[in-house]
Amino acid sequence: MNSLTFENLTFERNQRVLFDPLNGKVESGECLQIQGANGSGKSTLLRLLAGLLTSEMGEIRWQNQSIFRQLDDYQQQLHYVGHRHGVRYHLTVLENIKLYGEIFLTKTGAHAGAKQKQRDILSRLKLDTVLHRQAQHLSAGQLRRFSLAKLLLHPRPLWILDEPTASLDNEGQQLFATLMQEHLRTDGMAIVATHSPFDWKTICLTLS
Amino acid sequence: MFNALLRIMRHEITSIFREAHAWLTPILFFIITVCLFPLALGSDDPLLNHMAPCIIWISALLAILMSIGNLFRQEAEEGYLDVLILSSHSLTLWVLCKMLTHWILYCLPLILISPLLGILLHLNTSEMLLLISGLLLGTPVLILLGGIGAALLVGIRGSGLLLPILIMPLYIPVLIFGPGILLTYHAHLPITLHFAMMGAFIALSLAFAPLLTSVALRLGVNSS
Repeated sequence: MNSLTFENLTFERNQRVLFDPLNGKVESGECLQIQGANGSGKSTLLRLLAGLLTSEMGEIRWQNQSIFRQLDDYQQQLHYVGHRHGVRYHLTVLENIKLYGEIFLTKTGAHAGAKQKQRDILSRLKLDTVLHRQAQHLSAGQLRRFSLAKLLLHPRPLWILDEPTASLDNEGQQLFATLMQEHLRTDGMAIVATHSPFDWKTICLTLS
Repeated sequence: MFNALLRIMRHEITSIFREAHAWLTPILFFIITVCLFPLALGSDDPLLNHMAPCIIWISALLAILMSIGNLFRQEAEEGYLDVLILSSHSLTLWVLCKMLTHWILYCLPLILISPLLGILLHLNTSEMLLLISGLLLGTPVLILLGGIGAALLVGIRGSGLLLPILIMPLYIPVLIFGPGILLTYHAHLPITLHFAMMGAFIALSLAFAPLLTSVALRLGVNSS
């Protein structure tokens, strides 16, 4: 059972407090949905929770221990997908996937099995037709789909996603909902910033 | 683990070659700058031979300054740095490999082409060898130190001239002792001190620069 808690978390930039102190808790199988107007600090909150930003005020705990005491271990438990997709633009889709393999070093089973799994994931994301296209030539929606590929290829318990459904078509949004349900059912957890409401069980946190 | 890093760097090289014009620009700049001196000074002026090490070193330094500012820019824009921070690799090791790749792609061609340019500047074989060994020791230091500056400025838009101002003071020792090798040789004085100093620079910057750069990158990612 994994758990992530944050207490009295706030962030200050240029002497301006971005949001009032926040408290929250996510456990395995749960999804925390963060809502708020543009500029209310959703992205900042997500980066704070991923340990990519630091705040002097408040505390974030993973398994009841501050994340900054175990930053490396903690960051290997999570995937963060932000506005920027984390995709190398000059490499093809397939090359990017190989690169992810080297970066995340996930232990995969039998070689043939891993290949087959990779093919399945890519066809689910409808990327199997653009495997040899450079990422810079993909459409916004295709890039968005591709940024979700690493979540499936290299399973990690915590997903932190910033506007994951932006620029996805209806079919893509449904696919995302399915992936999310599968993730939560297998004891994964997620923190998602989004404007569109979800129909699965979520805890909501609204930034003012 | 180390093999994985090497394979990451192979993708890096592919990515740079796909944008060949950006890669070739500093190299062409280096060749053109060096060629301008014999044209302006007259190709048989003895001053040309005397100034040759300074010409090559300053041109190389400027060519490095052209490319070093972009060391982490593309990665930051793609969000690839976030991915690396959350990866299973040490950011410091990745930075070291990245700098090594940058040196191989951007500095090694300059060093390989400098014997040809040396002919233009009337350098004989032993002078050429001294110049090349100086460049081999000195250019990695310029990359390592420049990387710190590039990482510090990674979150700042339009930092253009800020980088040279920031790292030029760090480049001064290399610029004194690098061309100094050949200048001292011309004056028939022992050159051991210069090589020892260059060795000290590279050892020192190898030990500290990758670590400082990875710390600066985390800070830069913090602010972007």
